[in-house]
Amino acid sequence: MTTTTRNRKLSPDELDSFGRELDEVRARAVAQLGQRDADYIRRIVAAVRWTGLGGRLALMIGAIGGAFVSGLLIPAWIVGVLLLALSKILENMELGHNVMHGQYDWMRDPHLDGKTYEWDIVATGDNWRKTHNYQHHTWTNVRGMDDDIGYGLLRLFPEQRWRPFYLFQPIVAVIFAVLFEWGVAIQDLRLGRWWYGKISNAQMRKNFRPVGRKMARQLIKDYLFFPLLAGPFFLPVLLGNIVANVLRNLWTYTVIFCGHFTADAETFAKESVKNESRGHWYLRQLRGSSNLTGGRLMDLMTGNLSHQIEHHFFPDIPAHRYAAMAVDVRAICARYGQHYNTGSLPRQFGQVVWRILRHALPSRPPVKRARLARSSA
Amino acid sequence: MSARPRPASTRLPARSDSPFRRLARPWLSPRVFDFWASRLHPTWSWERPLARIVERRAESADAVTLVLRPNRHWHGCRPGQHLNVSAEIDGCRVTRSYSPTGLPGRDRRVAITVKAVDGGKLSRHLCERAKVGDVLDLGPAFGDMQLDENAAAPRLFLAAGSGITPLIALTRALAARGMPAPLSLLYWARKREQLCFVDELRSYAAAHPRFQLRFLLTGEAADAADEGQGRIDAAQLATIADLADREVYACGPGGFVDEARALLAARTVSFQAEAFSPPPRTQEDLDGTVEITLAASARTVTVARGQSLLGALEAQGLKLASGCRMGICNTCACGKRSGSTRHLHTGDAQHEPVSALRLCVNSATSDLVLDL
Ligand code: FES
Repeated sequence: MTTTTRNRKLSPDELDSFGRELDEVRARAVAQLGQRDADYIRRIVAAVRWTGLGGRLALMIGAIGGAFVSGLLIPAWIVGVLLLALSKILENMELGHNVMHGQYDWMRDPHLDGKTYEWDIVATGDNWRKTHNYQHHTWTNVRGMDDDIGYGLLRLFPEQRWRPFYLFQPIVAVIFAVLFEWGVAIQDLRLGRWWYGKISNAQMRKNFRPVGRKMARQLIKDYLFFPLLAGPFFLPVLLGNIVANVLRNLWTYTVIFCGHFTADAETFAKESVKNESRGHWYLRQLRGSSNLTGGRLMDLMTGNLSHQIEHHFFPDIPAHRYAAMAVDVRAICARYGQHYNTGSLPRQFGQVVWRILRHALPSRPPVKRARLARSSA
Repeated sequence: MSARPRPASTRLPARSDSPFRRLARPWLSPRVFDFWASRLHPTWSWERPLARIVERRAESADAVTLVLRPNRHWHGCRPGQHLNVSAEIDGCRVTRSYSPTGLPGRDRRVAITVKAVDGGKLSRHLCERAKVGDVLDLGPAFGDMQLDENAAAPRLFLAAGSGITPLIALTRALAARGMPAPLSLLYWARKREQLCFVDELRSYAAAHPRFQLRFLLTGEAADAADEGQGRIDAAQLATIADLADREVYACGPGGFVDEARALLAARTVSFQAEAFSPPPRTQEDLDGTVEITLAASARTVTVARGQSLLGALEAQGLKLASGCRMGICNTCACGKRSGSTRHLHTGDAQHEPVSALRLCVNSATSDLVLDL
């Protein structure tokens, strides 16, 4: 693990008690799980369904009604798109992401079961449970183990080897943001490895089958079925669905990139996670994650990934509890002299954009600076 | 009143899917369908067997009977069988098995009789808080205690406490057929006020000379003619005519069933019994081994207590899905039908059935049944 001046180096004993104190925060939350959490997630389910229904109705009214009543199309279309995007964002973040982490498994409600939940994006839940729940959460920001570092597409850290392809990175990043759900969908297919012949065609066909099925289903639902309900006036509905999906993509991309690729976020070498203690694991999660400030609305719209640090510490605790847990977590981090990375959305996203631009060009890890800092400390 | 679930050998056949449902399945998420359907009617669902409480009445001093109206996804139950009933308590679905006391006739209603058990989560909830209109989840029927339809053999029913529930269903079924063979029912309770179905049983006794009924009290004196006193023993059983020809059905707490078996199993035509599951252990030792039944693959393995279940099962040669192996990714989670486990980090004990037990961070503290 690299040491920066913002973090105090912890002795093994300190690491252990650091881990223990965080375990206690977790235990306190677990002890409180109950009706309040069940009511909360059911309210989210209801919000997703009603805004989804409202959005689709508004688009339909705009498309069909707009053909007869002038001036109806545009406002109804805008309302429809916004409601549908809101529904999809809530479903993606606060519902799908959190349920698939198993945050509500304790309820034993088959509809909120982390192992079987299937969300409303083109990526299959099964692939995501592997790339995200397992690879990303276990190996957060470990180079070569956490594919979420640049998704095999972007160079965000100087430790990643530079290639001329990265000169196009600013454009690639924008395209990736617009098509984010498609990127997540093909992440587990590892097209790169297939391209270089490390995965056979037959294997690729097998891996692709469930992904292709999910993609087809999403395409037919949003871009065929619902538009065709409007009959000859399908075009505004089709456009509305496209825009709603793109809005959702842009938003989730923004939130997720702010979670791990801000200026102070660190990456780690594979060696650093061998025989990692629990305290050490917590520390790595802390240094690889960053929060967003912004209050309840921000928490809701990000599925509480505004508390990325707490999410990485406690991925299976119902996320609406992170805000309260963060008070303890911050105090613990302060006591152990660890930097708690948080900031407003514009500030954090600005840092992400800077990383994307900066590391498109050759850059070198700040080895010297770190060494200097350590020797002068 | 909760019995240990048996393998589903006697499950009723599932009804085949309608063509509409088959066609719609890939496109319609049950999650979405159920959300909207349940706005219209509390038990409408794409595929989940749900039932609404339509009536509740006191059955004894500490038991209630709940009459349930299941939706069309529930496929019925035979007398003497059990089914899993779940209710949501403090946000969490709690499941126990009950033996229906009233079975679906033309009105498709099913009744369960629930005795409030000390510290029993679901039984207390159902006895004290569940009200008409509440919705419960139903599981498929299971259990082997059923009447041999053809035999007109004389029978002996032994019930203790809530062990009466499967036996009242069998008694009713026989009464409805005019008691085709001699039937004796011995029914133990601590106090008179804890007996259920007393009037109904007495009316059967009055109507059918072949039905012999005896209430046995262990905690107070007998005074009615059909009452006796004391725990199960040879003297009580000696009052049964042609005991050796009887088919015996016994149901009650573990100790009672063991006693009945010791007294009768070698002396009668047949002996069927069902014992309630033992209470969860509180004092578990970390050494020794436990048996793990893998329900889906019909295997049983013996593993060491106190070891992570994932590691223990893998050591048995099982290939299991796993990821982080530290309790965060949920990959290894699988359903636990029964038995007790302990979380390796927190030490938390879990005695309830759960839908997703993380095998990598839990150890077995008793025999387990897993959905593997
Ligand atoms: S293997 Fe990740 S939770 Fe068990």
